[in-house]
Amino acid sequence: MATKTGTFSGDAEIVSWRGDRGRQVDRCIAWFSIMGAAIVGLTVLAIANIAMAELADPAHLLEVAASPVVIGSILLTFLAGANAVLLLVLFGTPLAYVLARSRPSRLKGIVESIVDLPLILPHTVAGLLVYLLFMRRGWLGAPLAEIGLAFEDAYPGTVVAMLFVASPFFINTMREGFEKVPVHLENVARTLGAGTFTTFRTVTLPLSLRHLYSGAIFAWGRAIGEFAGVVMIAYYPFIISTLIYYTFTTEGIRVSRSIAFVVILVSLAVFYLLRRMTRLMGRYDDRV
Amino acid sequence: MIAFDRVSLTLGSFRLKDVSMTIGQGDYYFIVGPSGAGKTVLLEAIAGLHLPEHGRILLRGEEITALPPERRGVALVYQDYSLFPHMTVADNVSYGLRVRGMERDAARCEVAGLLERFGLGHLADRYPGTLSGGEQQRVALTRAVAVKPDILLLDEPLSALDPITQERFIDDLRRLHREDGLTIVQVSHSRRETRLLATRMAVLIDGRLVDEGRADVVLNAPKSREVATFVGIENILDGTVTANEDGYAVVDAGGRTFEAVTDAAAGEAVTLCIRADDVVIGNGGGARNTMAGTVVAVVEDGPVAGVKVDCGVELTAVLTRRSVQDLSLAPGTRVTVAVRAAAVHVIRSLS
Repeated sequence: MATKTGTFSGDAEIVSWRGDRGRQVDRCIAWFSIMGAAIVGLTVLAIANIAMAELADPAHLLEVAASPVVIGSILLTFLAGANAVLLLVLFGTPLAYVLARSRPSRLKGIVESIVDLPLILPHTVAGLLVYLLFMRRGWLGAPLAEIGLAFEDAYPGTVVAMLFVASPFFINTMREGFEKVPVHLENVARTLGAGTFTTFRTVTLPLSLRHLYSGAIFAWGRAIGEFAGVVMIAYYPFIISTLIYYTFTTEGIRVSRSIAFVVILVSLAVFYLLRRMTRLMGRYDDRV
Repeated sequence: MIAFDRVSLTLGSFRLKDVSMTIGQGDYYFIVGPSGAGKTVLLEAIAGLHLPEHGRILLRGEEITALPPERRGVALVYQDYSLFPHMTVADNVSYGLRVRGMERDAARCEVAGLLERFGLGHLADRYPGTLSGGEQQRVALTRAVAVKPDILLLDEPLSALDPITQERFIDDLRRLHREDGLTIVQVSHSRRETRLLATRMAVLIDGRLVDEGRADVVLNAPKSREVATFVGIENILDGTVTANEDGYAVVDAGGRTFEAVTDAAAGEAVTLCIRADDVVIGNGGGARNTMAGTVVAVVEDGPVAGVKVDCGVELTAVLTRRSVQDLSLAPGTRVTVAVRAAAVHVIRSLS
């Protein structure tokens, strides 16, 4: 009651502020939400646009979705992407660890630039690089062809092109994960009797699992979306992007649009599931 | 047991310079120094985590300069505990045994007793993130002790704990040292911890080891003015020896003369160190240095009080709060101050 009489002006202010609290809106967040909605809205609009057209003719959509060519191509794309990611995990993880733990130096700067190169290059250039190296007369293509591993218009060609364009996504994410593991933890493990490999296996890697996982998803997403990089060395077998381009040029918009819509639905579902699974990965050091 | 022989080490912009020290079997060795002096780096160097550029490190007389940490028999506890966040308490503590090849269950059995001893039995299946700071610190200590190290290295183990937990922890550490006979090296910047635990100590300032020896000697008879300031000697006076007779010197310190036991010859510049508890207010009972002065300030600190007296130079005495009341000391009170000649530690600038 004292506040109402206004004997102490400070209390009166507090009361009015309390009264406002329910209606208080963080205007910064509000404005930013509106701006963010524009970006999300663009994607939603694009999907809605295609969905409207496709759902108008469900029979055609189902026919395309059930065709062995489309299913086979989607599976091939996912598999080749997974294969590329597997190789990346195997070879990119050690590189990421070295980059995370080494001191800055000129050599390190050069290596970092090389790692990032596929990010900067036009995809056609990346495709050309892969093609020239792995074609039948290429530096690596020729000796590998000798032992029966052909890249041109073959599955290995698809994998190696995907590997090239996806590598920075995995390596940089993995490296960030390693950098977040405090060196003190490794030091303690060492003094407790663990060698460097054991320390990596029992401390550093388990604590970076979440980064390994999200890096792998990033890289996989990048890999299965690749077109120009892959098409130069392996036009066949058709991965999904090649198939859509092929049907677009040969059969027109109607079929290619249906394939595209199927891919959107499948990708959305798969990535949503993979993202949900992130929370199951690894226990984190909250102090970091 | 472990000895540093002129070890130099650069780490980024930081340098350890020419550090020589010896840590004996059974020592409770303190490395003290201001923040940024390189104490943690020195500790990590003992553990083998940094390779020195110059100098040698010896373990029981054998050179181990390049021996990796996992083969040194040295366990390290960091200030931030550094528990493995993805392992339970029991797995953290048995980690050292498991990487030595022991089976998981056997290792857990092995550490069960240890967990009980340190009051962690009920926490065995919890993850570190759910523990309090004090509990985490005990887990870190238990994990280090579990591998039965020759030397236990502690990096400011008490600094993040509340006072009550600190007391418990100090008791644990004392038991580990006395009853288990563990050699402990502890980094600290707390004078109190040093007084309570240290048997030997080193003072590290700006990457350089400026004093080393028995803890009571370093604390009460430091080698340099820098060390004296750091270990908290309350009265540090610069002066010149005016006469010396059979080891009893007269030192002129800014207009007031003191008698002290030293070999310093007449004319030599010296620094006098007098601990506040050696400055007696009231009847000095025949002390060589007795002088009249005026109280300028009384600073209470719990059960004790620091009394600053101006007697030509300013001297600080420490009394119980009760004594201050009994003597009715307050700014302006005229008092007699007495310091025994033997209580005046003389630092010779040449030494």
